Amino acid sequence: MNLAASYRRRFAVGLLLAAALGVGLTQWVLVRARDQESRAKSERVAVVSVNALVEIVERAGIVGDGVRRAVAAVARDNPMLTGIRVVVFEGFSLEASTMAGDSGESAAPRRLTRDEKPLYDQGQRLRAAVETNRQEGAARKPEIEIETAANGGLALAAPLEKDGAVVGFVAAETAAMPPPPRSSWLVPLGAVVVPALVFLVLALPVGERRSVLAVVAAILLLATMVAYGRYALNTATADRRLTARTVAAEVTAEMARASGVTRELSLGDLSALHPASWDTDVFRRPLGLIAADGSVQEAPLEQGLARVAARTREVVGAFTLLALGLLAFVGLGGAARLGGTLRKHRQAYAYTFPAVFGMLALVFLPFLYGVVLSFTDFSLYTSQAPLSQIWIGLKNFTDILGDFHIATRGPGGLVWNYQNIYWTLGVTIVWTVTNVAYGVGMGLFLALILNTKGLFARPIYRVIFILPWATPNYITALIWKGMFHQQFGVINQIIQMLGGTPVSWFEKPGTSLFACIATNAWLSVPFMMVISLGALQSISADLYEAARVDGATRWQQFRSITLPSLKPALIPAMILSVIWTFNMFNIIYLVSAGEPAHSTEILITQAYKFAFEQYRYGYAAAYSMVIFAVLLAYGIWQNKVTKATEGI
Amino acid sequence: MSERSRTGEFPHLPLHVILLIYVVVTLYPLLWVFTIAFSGQQGLMIVDIPANPTFLDRLRAITPWPAHVSASSFISLFTEQPFARWLLNSVIVAAGTTVLGVFLACTAAYAFSRFRFPGRRIGLMSFLVSQMFPGTLMLIPLYIIIVQFLGLGSNFIGLILLYSITAIPFCVWMLKGYFDTIPKELEESALMDGASAATIFYRIVLPLAQPAVAVTALFSFMTAWNEFIQAATFMDKISMYTAPVGLRFFVGGFSQQWGYFAAGAIITAIPIVVLFLVLQKYVVSGLTAGAVKG
Repeated sequence: MNLAASYRRRFAVGLLLAAALGVGLTQWVLVRARDQESRAKSERVAVVSVNALVEIVERAGIVGDGVRRAVAAVARDNPMLTGIRVVVFEGFSLEASTMAGDSGESAAPRRLTRDEKPLYDQGQRLRAAVETNRQEGAARKPEIEIETAANGGLALAAPLEKDGAVVGFVAAETAAMPPPPRSSWLVPLGAVVVPALVFLVLALPVGERRSVLAVVAAILLLATMVAYGRYALNTATADRRLTARTVAAEVTAEMARASGVTRELSLGDLSALHPASWDTDVFRRPLGLIAADGSVQEAPLEQGLARVAARTREVVGAFTLLALGLLAFVGLGGAARLGGTLRKHRQAYAYTFPAVFGMLALVFLPFLYGVVLSFTDFSLYTSQAPLSQIWIGLKNFTDILGDFHIATRGPGGLVWNYQNIYWTLGVTIVWTVTNVAYGVGMGLFLALILNTKGLFARPIYRVIFILPWATPNYITALIWKGMFHQQFGVINQIIQMLGGTPVSWFEKPGTSLFACIATNAWLSVPFMMVISLGALQSISADLYEAARVDGATRWQQFRSITLPSLKPALIPAMILSVIWTFNMFNIIYLVSAGEPAHSTEILITQAYKFAFEQYRYGYAAAYSMVIFAVLLAYGIWQNKVTKATEGI
Repeated sequence: MSERSRTGEFPHLPLHVILLIYVVVTLYPLLWVFTIAFSGQQGLMIVDIPANPTFLDRLRAITPWPAHVSASSFISLFTEQPFARWLLNSVIVAAGTTVLGVFLACTAAYAFSRFRFPGRRIGLMSFLVSQMFPGTLMLIPLYIIIVQFLGLGSNFIGLILLYSITAIPFCVWMLKGYFDTIPKELEESALMDGASAATIFYRIVLPLAQPAVAVTALFSFMTAWNEFIQAATFMDKISMYTAPVGLRFFVGGFSQQWGYFAAGAIITAIPIVVLFLVLQKYVVSGLTAGAVKG
């Protein structure tokens, strides 16, 4: 086999693999998007039905025979709603029901039974959601609950309001949803195979020139990805338009049904029915995609399609770059070299593969994703926006690191700004250094004592000392929080017993941090003790024997035998211990919870609060990146100072 | 000069005094939990203190013994609360994590210790660096990967994978350190006798490394048994709660059921203690010295 022929083969194989990667990923995203769109379509149609139902039930007065007649009429006219229940909070009453189980003995109206507590709870959840959203003036908690029912349909629940207050809710089940659309596998298969075949034909006249082959393969790959991206976009667009048409048809149909029922039961003014407003999101905000006459609003639909197009371009662009990378890797011979290395060291790679693969998928990949997030404005309110719209570059970082308002001069001296990162960093450093120093010192001290030969009850001591490590740290944290309780806590009882005055531990930063450190110190000793003890016991007794024969003192033995033998075990343990303490979330979060006023937060709990109390994911990710940078700098410094990783 | 001080050993009595003081420090918070758990009530106080307490009243209030001994918190924990189910969930997750975690760590650590291959140094260093990744940075992406991509929300497999892989870096570094201390002569002589790499790994290296493997297993188990935030994030059905999430349920928010919490905490902590006692001898004994000499 000559070298040139293998170039051609390499590029052909590379093109095949790269196209398979690019097209495969695009197809995967497309299938997922189509499933989601299909689900969204079913949900929107169901929501329109349920909103129409709510309108009729509210017009029928929510309680009484009128409601039962109205519900029966809706169930008769709308075959999609297979079961309807109306629950009213006052008297825990099931006012109306067309569910199969609610007949005969248990027919509505009746009180809810004990088993139906979840139903009542659901109603309370909806009421709380409506009230919360109203108070906050935001849409945070869903006011319509949608779940997949056992029969493959949807189970929905929406609140019923009277005079502005939630007095009950309707629960409705729909018939099974239509299966998601099937995507043909012939198109992606063709998109993978055809370019490779074309390349083989084109490569015949090109012959063995490597650069020309590379250009031809790259152009073919680009063309494939552009064409396939367009195909994916067209499919997604068609799905989106179908959804709009389906919902519009549903709105028109609901209007007809609602008018019919309204007329039949004389439920008031027909012209007050606004069917277009029935097409809402789960926060009961009209989507504004359907016009008053029940036709599709073209402008917002086109805007939505433009967003889909922008997002598709982004995703397909990224996949194209990946595919090009793969093509270059295979075509230029990187893959062949890698294959050679893998074969040569196949045993080593086989042993490391499971762990490394797992680490890549569940540690390094999420980390990279987090890095990307840190450059965005991603939050609860922008979770649907494409990446390009929420990309804000380094703004998060300049906001965090460029804020030097650590303290202001107030009337009573300095007033610290506890939300400032430099304050939190200072607290974190004090916290870490104190804890690790105490852990190593006390752990080594106890281990040296326990290593004494022939010490009475040695195993019992060791078991007792290990207990704090064995105790889950969140339990420890809550125990100590209880012990530091200002009124009922044992520690204040002891202080009072000795004649002192009780301390309000969590009202001053100093005492609050002390409480956290005491807790963590208590639980961090055993780890260091076990590590030290293990290392002490692996030291050969012969060494001490020989030293004694040579007349070495205890101190000399400790300096020249014990400490050097401990070093290989203790140094990595200390590095890890610093990192663990630095990231010790549970203790701070549970003992002081940052009180007072976030003054005792460490960096990691502060980041958590940004993410899960303020829902600023992008900002929290950037904050976490700063934490990571601090730790990395520490790791590099530590490595230089101790040369702990020498000769690995 | 006595025999003892000549051989350089301390007298034992002062050592015992020091150790006993630390025993009190260690045990007091735990005894306090037992007291709350067996008090049969849900409050934080051991006894009620009179209006003008004397020294003895105070002393009684800090003595870890309940006013009335009662097991009612334990009984209602299992009869009225779904604690048994949460405990079972924790057992399944922790056992799965231990098996998978030990397998992943042993194989990788053996390769890192015995083979020299491209990527070895980078692999080891990146494991170390990954320990510095802040948990809050990982939580959002992990949720997307595990729940949305893999569909493993409220599923044992998701949690087991997550826990065993999070424990890898520490376990690999520790095991590698231990494997490094096992003399190569043993393996070389086995190689001469015609043993394969797999045989050497399973028949020679692993048995010699039993103490380290035991620590690895314990560490994996504890990681899974004690973890709270991720379990709370990924197990959102009440029936799939693990014990920590369930315990937090008792004292989270406005509910302050310290009796249930203390009783549940005792039950949750017991398996770890038992496991540690069983594994003591493996953790303690240094086997290598004997093996080479023998």
